[in-house]
Amino acid sequence: MAVFVEVDHIDRVFKLPDGGEYIALKNIDLHIHKGEFVSLVGHSGCGKSTLLNILSGLDQPSAGGIVLEGRQVTEPGPDRMVVFQNYSLLPWLTVRQNIELAVDQVLQKHPKPVRRRLVDHHIELVGLQKAADKRPGQISGGMKQRVAIARALAIRPKLLLLDEPFGALDALTRGGLQEQLMQICQEHEVTCVMVTHDVDEALLLSDRIVLMTNGPEAHVGQIVEVPFPRPRERMEVVKHPNYYSLRNEIVYFLNQQKRAKQHKAKPVVAVAANGLEKVNLELGLIPLTDCAPLVVAKEKGLFEANGLSQVTLNREPSWNAIADGVTSGRLDAAMMVAGMPLGLTLGYGNQRPVPMVTALTLSRNGNAITVSRRLYDQGVRSLADLKAAIDRRPDQVHTLAAVHPTSMHNLLLRYWLASGGIDPDRDVSVTVIPPAQMVSNLKAGTIDGYCVGEPWNVRAVQEGVGVVMAIDHDIWPGHIEKVLGVTEAWANQYPKTHLALVKALLEACEYCDDPRNREEIIDLLARPEYVGADPGYLRQGFLGPYDRGDGRKPESILHYNQFFTDKANCPDVTEAVWIMTQMARWGITPFPRNWLEVAERIKRTDIFGQAARELGLLDIGRDRHPIQLFDGIPFNPDHPLDYLERLAIKRDLRIEEIPLDALKA
Amino acid sequence: MTDTWELIVNPFFNYGGTDKGLFWQVLTSLQRVALGFSLAAIVGVALGILVGTSSLMYSALDPLFQVLRTVPPLAWLPISLAAFQQANPSAIFVIFITAIWPIIINTTEGVRQIPQDYNNVARVLRLSKPVYFLKVLFPATVPYIFTGLRIGIGLSWLAIVAAEMLIGGVGIGFFIWDAWNSSRISDIIIAIVYVGVVGLLLDRLIVFIGSLVLPEEQKK
Repeated sequence: MAVFVEVDHIDRVFKLPDGGEYIALKNIDLHIHKGEFVSLVGHSGCGKSTLLNILSGLDQPSAGGIVLEGRQVTEPGPDRMVVFQNYSLLPWLTVRQNIELAVDQVLQKHPKPVRRRLVDHHIELVGLQKAADKRPGQISGGMKQRVAIARALAIRPKLLLLDEPFGALDALTRGGLQEQLMQICQEHEVTCVMVTHDVDEALLLSDRIVLMTNGPEAHVGQIVEVPFPRPRERMEVVKHPNYYSLRNEIVYFLNQQKRAKQHKAKPVVAVAANGLEKVNLELGLIPLTDCAPLVVAKEKGLFEANGLSQVTLNREPSWNAIADGVTSGRLDAAMMVAGMPLGLTLGYGNQRPVPMVTALTLSRNGNAITVSRRLYDQGVRSLADLKAAIDRRPDQVHTLAAVHPTSMHNLLLRYWLASGGIDPDRDVSVTVIPPAQMVSNLKAGTIDGYCVGEPWNVRAVQEGVGVVMAIDHDIWPGHIEKVLGVTEAWANQYPKTHLALVKALLEACEYCDDPRNREEIIDLLARPEYVGADPGYLRQGFLGPYDRGDGRKPESILHYNQFFTDKANCPDVTEAVWIMTQMARWGITPFPRNWLEVAERIKRTDIFGQAARELGLLDIGRDRHPIQLFDGIPFNPDHPLDYLERLAIKRDLRIEEIPLDALKA
Repeated sequence: MTDTWELIVNPFFNYGGTDKGLFWQVLTSLQRVALGFSLAAIVGVALGILVGTSSLMYSALDPLFQVLRTVPPLAWLPISLAAFQQANPSAIFVIFITAIWPIIINTTEGVRQIPQDYNNVARVLRLSKPVYFLKVLFPATVPYIFTGLRIGIGLSWLAIVAAEMLIGGVGIGFFIWDAWNSSRISDIIIAIVYVGVVGLLLDRLIVFIGSLVLPEEQKK
């Protein structure tokens, strides 16, 4: 898709009366495609209206510029019509005259009868025939906004700019107008940029939501893609399995910004102590059984023992928030899904690549694939049954969920499906939902199954909404699961701190794998600030027998959660290459031509080795040998492309050279 | 009482010279006011819009207006007599110069107070100058213009009475002065009643015209 509007590195600086400067916008860079609906969301005073004014040409950027269809925007013009927040209708003209004023001025070259018809058509479009000859003072706020929209649409703008168009309206009117706007935009394929405070409104209307950070120096904090299919219906959008996770992500971002504002008074500085460069660390974790090493290191004083005296654990709402927190510097380090350091370095999902490193594998195994009780009751007992069930109902889209594009859950779920002849993109829909929201989505029927870590499979089984179809031991026993991830820049800036962190967590991993400690760890994890789940759920697999919910007797599974034993912790290049083949297989990232260089650079065995030696532990990883999953296709790390060739179901491969040294941190 | 009785019951007599009924006296004064005030309105609104739309003109001329507007009406009379050499044009000029300042100042203010929203609409639509003037600037300024006109008409009625006292001839001002010289105090009283009532009617007239022109939303 060609770029329609290009916002090219815009700064906007206001001169203050006291001679100072206020930098409202800093380095805003945004590409908008034709027919796209983009929302700008942020707190008050974050400069979103300023950005809209610059787009319209009413305000000029201090640096950078706007390019619309290849031409720079320097002044306002009717090809970028604005729907103003307070309607901006001329009160001395009737509804019809207000629209006529715009149409007559802008479409002068059309003959008068054509213009009259155009005006009438747009009055009808917004359903204001009865009020056409009334003045703005005689009609309600909602009607005024409809006039403003009709006026804007009637002059056929290339780009429609809406400044909090429904902000001043009551909820009922707002809902009706949103639907009308959505319909009109879809029918006429108008490219829209809307400023709004309302997260639900943004989700309903937009293709992309641009989240702005707080001013001063506001910039684009995050861009959320809204995947709901069009045409949209309000009720169906709300029922979409991703709706609440997207909503949470945005609300989380906004709360983060609010907190950042409060924190701005005391900027985060590195506190150096105990011979380390930085002892005040913000670590991110996701509420899962396998966050145990972080919790243990904190609660058993292992961080302090290694000199890290001020460690804070932050419970994050989604893996996206983790990725964002670490790359933005809000978090120093975090537990990450295995593919995340690789995915971030390769720029997954067309994001800006950020070089990452991982020097420690935190856990192995611990996942399962759960399908809904409904599918189970239809006779789905195995992968083959699932395929049959999908083939039986070609009219119905089965939706399965994983927690992040780069997570093992996504890759294993897709591998599992593909090995059974189910194309995870064409035969079913695989979507991304944070772990903690899986069970509620399964219960609501918005998804039919998922792959996730514990305790979220156990919980679905115990609540009777799902049945475990496969666990890791059925697919790839002992696979890499969670890793410690930091940016390469951070690792280079704080090498001693990084080493201390790896040591503390490695000790914690060892502690976690001693069965005598697990009872205590369950109690720690059950605390509300960590996983906050019922200890009975946490126990299954971790310490006690595991109930798959299919009527069989619960069985004990060796190493269901593996943290240390069997050389679990050393970063493994072979696994990294396997993950890269799988991410390339599904089009999540390109496959690097320099795959070995990328894998070696990210998997810092040297740091792990030093940490292990200093602790007197074994400093090597597993032997280098081909990986083989349940279907028996061997993966030889020396020939990853041959392996990709052998896999039947896959997307178009992109093979690219990744210039690691050119990537800026 | 008996001396004034004729004035009260018959405002329309005309015995030639300055010996006319009060209706004629008032009418003559009103004609002068009408002429002077109309000129002031036309020039004042035009000048006000000009000054209001250009910030250069505004910063150059507004201080001047602020000084001139404080000059009492009668102070202009000697200059105008010297310039015009005749009583009637001088009186009209005094009316003009008295009424014009509030009209200019209010019009200027009106133009400067046009809501930014309307200007933004005009800029986005790229309205041509004449359309902008007719559809946006002028309608938006009308309430301010009428405020100026109302103040102006009041001032000009004040000024005409004073001016006529000095220049003589037919007119309600000179009538009062003449009555004082002839010690007809009761005539003065009836004339003052006339002046008051006419002043009130003029004010109401402007308000009435304003209410015809202004749309509902802009009335304060």
